[in-house]
Amino acid sequence: MSVLILEGMFMLLLIIIAIAIIFGKDLLALTVIYSVFSFAAMILYILAGAADVAFTEAVIGVISTVYFIIAIKSISRRCK
Amino acid sequence: MKNKKKIIGVVLIIVAVSGFFFKFPNIIPAVDDAKAPVHSYISGFYIENAISQTGAHNIVTAVLADYRGFDTLFETCVMLLAGITALMVLSSTAKVGKKQKVSKEIKNASFSGTIIDTAFRVIVPIIVIYAFYVFAHGESSLGGGFQAGALLAIAYMIDRIIPSFNNSLGTFTEQGAAMTAGVGVFIYIFTGILPMFNGGNFLEYGRLPFGAEKAAELHVIGITMIEIGVVVCVMATIINILEVVLERTEFDE
Repeated sequence: MSVLILEGMFMLLLIIIAIAIIFGKDLLALTVIYSVFSFAAMILYILAGAADVAFTEAVIGVISTVYFIIAIKSISRRCK
Repeated sequence: MKNKKKIIGVVLIIVAVSGFFFKFPNIIPAVDDAKAPVHSYISGFYIENAISQTGAHNIVTAVLADYRGFDTLFETCVMLLAGITALMVLSSTAKVGKKQKVSKEIKNASFSGTIIDTAFRVIVPIIVIYAFYVFAHGESSLGGGFQAGALLAIAYMIDRIIPSFNNSLGTFTEQGAAMTAGVGVFIYIFTGILPMFNGGNFLEYGRLPFGAEKAAELHVIGITMIEIGVVVCVMATIINILEVVLERTEFDE
């Protein structure tokens, strides 16, 4: 039961982060928030017993964050 | 006004998706439910036979690298294609087109400083060692070729984007990285072709032309060889995309 509550909390966190990414203005801050999204998804995979997928998600979360930050660096628009 | 439309859309999507899951609560089976449809057909075969047939204690590795070798081969090819596509789309226009100018303060403010330098100087060797650990123990613990390649690429990335490191790991060119990814796919396909000289089928590790007492040992050798190919391809593809994107970022004042 406690696992269910934990899963529910992280699912809510995922929804909140997704809404924040849609409505946010500052691109750099949103990139960091997106890495938190990746982290919450990783915890959910671990709770579901898929440790391999969680590991992949963690690694890819880091790489995509770096890509996003470099891409933001290359454009002049930082906030809307 | 535009924001209002967005809010309505978000609320509609949340209501629709959560309503779907409330209507059909059994769509995701419970974690330990052995009778769920996804767990009842072929999983039992894998659980019973994977260790004795392939010698891999991690059944995920056994399925990915051995039973589903074709899937992994074409996933690797998709990685190579993604890298080549990024190279084609981004690099040619970057050199011809007009680069956007960003003020010098922003450029110098990011990715430098004593704390970042010291922290990453410690972290990079650990990441490289961990990548080789993940690769070498992929058959008995988490991970495998993809994760090891991504970790190596992260080490390269840190080295590349922190200016005071002076690229001590060396730099790839974009084209060189794409070619290295191709070498990774070649290693994979070569491992698949080797059993065919010994009378087997494509990717039939049990017929690899190496001397071994049991077929499971040959499977271990085959899995290790294709994982080398996957490591090289994934690492080179991630580096390739990084270099292509960085090419557009290097501003001229």
